[in-house]
Amino acid sequence: MKHDPTLTRNFCIIAHVDHGKTTLSDRLLEYTSTIAKRVMTDQHLDSMDLEKERGITIKMHPVTMTYPAKDGKTYKLNLMDTPGHVDFSYEVSRSLAACEGALLLIDAAQGVEAQTVANAHLAFTQGLKIIPVINKIDLPSANLELCTRQLEDILTIPAEEVILASGKSGIGIEEILEAVISRIPPPRWSDYPTTRMLVFDSKYDSYRGVISHVRVFSGTFKAGEMMMLMSSGQKSEIKEVGMFHPGMIKCKELRPGDVGYIVSNIKSVDEIKIGDTITHANKPAAEMLPGYKEVHPMVYCGLYPLESSDYEKLKVALGKLRLNDSALQYQQETSVALGFGFRCGFLGLLHMEILQERIRREYDVDIISTYPSVVYRVKKHGGQVIEVDNPVNLPDPASIEEISEPTIKASIHIPNEFLGDMMSLIMEKRGSCDHTDTLDSTRVMLTCTLPLNEILVDFNDRLKSITHGYGSMDYELGDYRPSDLVKMEILVNGDPVDAFACIVHRSKAETQGRSLCEKLAEIIPPQMFKIAVQAAIGGKIIARDNVREMRKDVTAKCYGGDISRKRKLLDKQKEGKKKMKQIGKVSIPPDAFIQVLKTNH
Amino acid sequence: MVEFPPAQEKAETPLGLYVHVPFCATTCDFCAFYQTVPQGDAVPRYLEAVAAETARVEWAGRRVATVFWGGGTPGLLRARELRQLGEATLRCSGGPPEEWSVELAPATVTPDRLAVLQELGVTRISLGVQSFNAGLLDALGRQHMPAQVYRAYELIRAQGFASVNLDLMFALPGQSEEQWRADLAEALRLAPDHLSTYCLTFEEDTALWVKLSQGKVKLDPEKEAAFYRRTWEFLEESGYAQYEISNFARPGHACRHNLNTWRMHEWVGLGPSAASQFGGWRGSNPPDLALWLTEVAAGRRAQADQTRLTPGLLAVDSVVFGLRMNEGVRLPRLRRRFPTARWEALMDFLPKLIIEGLAEASVEGRLWLTPRGRLLADSIGSAIIAAFPSENLTPIL
Ligand SMILES: Nc1nc2c(ncn2[C@@H]2O[C@H](COP(=O)(O)OP(=O)(O)OP(=O)(O)O)[C@@H](O)[C@H]2O)c(=O)[nH]1
Ligand code: SF4
Ligand SMILES: [Mg+2]
Repeated sequence: MKHDPTLTRNFCIIAHVDHGKTTLSDRLLEYTSTIAKRVMTDQHLDSMDLEKERGITIKMHPVTMTYPAKDGKTYKLNLMDTPGHVDFSYEVSRSLAACEGALLLIDAAQGVEAQTVANAHLAFTQGLKIIPVINKIDLPSANLELCTRQLEDILTIPAEEVILASGKSGIGIEEILEAVISRIPPPRWSDYPTTRMLVFDSKYDSYRGVISHVRVFSGTFKAGEMMMLMSSGQKSEIKEVGMFHPGMIKCKELRPGDVGYIVSNIKSVDEIKIGDTITHANKPAAEMLPGYKEVHPMVYCGLYPLESSDYEKLKVALGKLRLNDSALQYQQETSVALGFGFRCGFLGLLHMEILQERIRREYDVDIISTYPSVVYRVKKHGGQVIEVDNPVNLPDPASIEEISEPTIKASIHIPNEFLGDMMSLIMEKRGSCDHTDTLDSTRVMLTCTLPLNEILVDFNDRLKSITHGYGSMDYELGDYRPSDLVKMEILVNGDPVDAFACIVHRSKAETQGRSLCEKLAEIIPPQMFKIAVQAAIGGKIIARDNVREMRKDVTAKCYGGDISRKRKLLDKQKEGKKKMKQIGKVSIPPDAFIQVLKTNH
Repeated sequence: MVEFPPAQEKAETPLGLYVHVPFCATTCDFCAFYQTVPQGDAVPRYLEAVAAETARVEWAGRRVATVFWGGGTPGLLRARELRQLGEATLRCSGGPPEEWSVELAPATVTPDRLAVLQELGVTRISLGVQSFNAGLLDALGRQHMPAQVYRAYELIRAQGFASVNLDLMFALPGQSEEQWRADLAEALRLAPDHLSTYCLTFEEDTALWVKLSQGKVKLDPEKEAAFYRRTWEFLEESGYAQYEISNFARPGHACRHNLNTWRMHEWVGLGPSAASQFGGWRGSNPPDLALWLTEVAAGRRAQADQTRLTPGLLAVDSVVFGLRMNEGVRLPRLRRRFPTARWEALMDFLPKLIIEGLAEASVEGRLWLTPRGRLLADSIGSAIIAAFPSENLTPIL
């Protein structure tokens, strides 16, 4: 059978977080019989345990479907489900580059939110055809009129293009599939004279090595052929090619327009850069496909094994995770309190939390993390500029001329009535509002500049609580600005603990010190001895709190028969403490900082 | 190689004998003891096996100083069966023991049983009252009514045992502080010689534990701590000196058998689930009647969790369990008893306890816990175990 690329469509589903992308994908998979109803599970493409548990998508998921359309022809549809959370927007831009169109979902009850706009813009700039879908119309609180108006006003998408759907009740599924075929163009650049495919993701498999996820633009690829990575010129034999159904299924050949995977001789993930173009070694292409902007981590923290003997295990875990997640960065470091570990960079706090969780679960390494930090630029007297991603490395204040901190450009969507409260939150967080735009009669969009370190902790939670859940935010990294920053140390039982050090704005040191001490005192389990948690700047104590005292821990009955049993229990209790990090006299739970960051006031 | 126990130690260590009577009519909600409903010829087979087990112990001419019959419900045995068990006990004790305690449930106290016990030489009766409050008793799944407690107590007193103990429980689900005070006052009105007051404990594999995990009852350490403190103060004022976390006595009535245990001396345990610490080893019988019968028939005993008693292990345990007693531990004496243990490690840790107000010490080197320390005895115990890094349990395969 001759391959006809005009019978292929590549599209992704994009939206604000939780607007129903994965649920709608379920219906598409079902409708096209890609997955039989009896094996279907809710949010089927969210295959990672963590995705299932938290009900959010973390990784993009490609899948190939076959659809006999009303025009009598059978199409191959390559769908990519994407994450909605702002930390993972990098995944969205990578999938966009592998598609010609996007379904833009809007939750009928929530309307257009910050990532709706951000992701729609990403799709526009990549020249993708957007199909607007108002989803969850089964909800009693659905407001179709408002959503349609917002689409027109905010995104200039004409109302007549809108499809009404519900992933839950299966409304609008056929209409969506027909629109994909009629509105999204067939694969672009398929007549380019030589072979080119884009690497949009990669994964490490312990049996087969590196598995690259690719979108073929022109030419064909078969097992046995020699391929070449255009950025490095490295050549390798292709050992297997296949597609996602949604599990990986081997096939004979990948052809123009196809989305699939290739297994080659390349063993190290670092050798295949995501965004690279693969071509034939014996007939290489002249130009590369447009790649991706490199992403840079926004947040850093130190990760340390609880048991120092697990250091190697942690190193292996990070290496493997990086294979599937090129946004993760890490580098060896040491801490006085925690020993040998790694300084790791993440795209945001959720990204950080998810990766820590995966290390614990998938690689079975107990870890403890330090307080997160952003990257500061420190200008020393004499003009030398250094970057500091670990507060411990902040030079002596006497040698510092100026410290600059990274800012973000945020766009915040909120209902009008919360404007006042929102402005005070932005002020509190040392931000400034550059301009306010009216989205429609009920909503405004604020464009603001905020120091990145201020939004790390609880900005999003506060935003949600101020707006009763109706506000949303999207952001990208802005420039560096000089700021009056100081290093705050945390002392536990009188000893400074380097892992707890953080860099804060002078004006906020006291409040932050107090709240950090208070939260730590709350999170550290009750202790037998009196233990103080203090915050200090330049050796001066600015805040203190006491860890709760243990009230009762005694066995009522302990006689001859109980001695052995009790002895074992006490032994175990001693072991149990090992699950925590012993710092001096105090046991600190490994996720203390994630907990600190989560507890709101 | 250090010989243990050292020769002179053998002679001066008092030996206790514990007999576990594993029968109960029903199971109380909080109970984690090994017990079973007696069926068929279970009782006669049990009695024969106890006698057989005594023959397996290498007594080496040691005299038994104290005897304790616990359960289960020893009182579930008939008078004639009690006599049979008593005779087996006396055969190995090498003469009448100085103290002989028997646990009785109120519903099992009858004149004929008491008469047999007295005749055997039992000196001390421990009556499982738990509460005088009918509602709370019922909530615990206990099988007696307050009226039975009074009757049982009268019968025991009339029989003229030297020492009588009442067991009480507190921090029961739904129990108010006033209710607990009323229970204590009622117990005091009966003027027993000894009182054991146990904070309700949630043990795994009990009906109560199930309720806890289903969220039907809740743990409340604050409430428990308050109940503990109140109990200690109240009983002290009433002339019952506390001598261990849960035990109080009028002068001369402390239970020597139990003191013997907390002082890390030696004891032999007979019957299913009974534990022994004797002849350089520690171990338990299987907590199952049928299994224990097979073991005894095969000539084996105290095989479960067998641990060799090294001087180091005994040194740590002497401190950990000794600190449960108000008298605490005499460190110089322990150092003399276990000279090879790594005492230095402990000596670094103990001052912290004193500085933090958890313990006090006398100039002669006696160390004891303060009331706050006693409430944290388990945490202190595991910290002490952790301070002795090398003295982990050495299981024997
Ligand atoms: N009522 C209703 N609820 C829906 C519908 N689609 C999804 N939901 C619910 O909305 C929540 C989010 O659904 P997901 O499909 O996970 O949303 P998502 O956009 O993939 O979320 P992220 O990938 O985390 O951005 C879930 O609780 C779904 O059950 C719908 O059509 N109607
Ligand atoms: S009577 Fe005693 S041993 Fe028997 S079930 Fe009740 S508490 Fe347990
Ligand atoms: Mg999803």
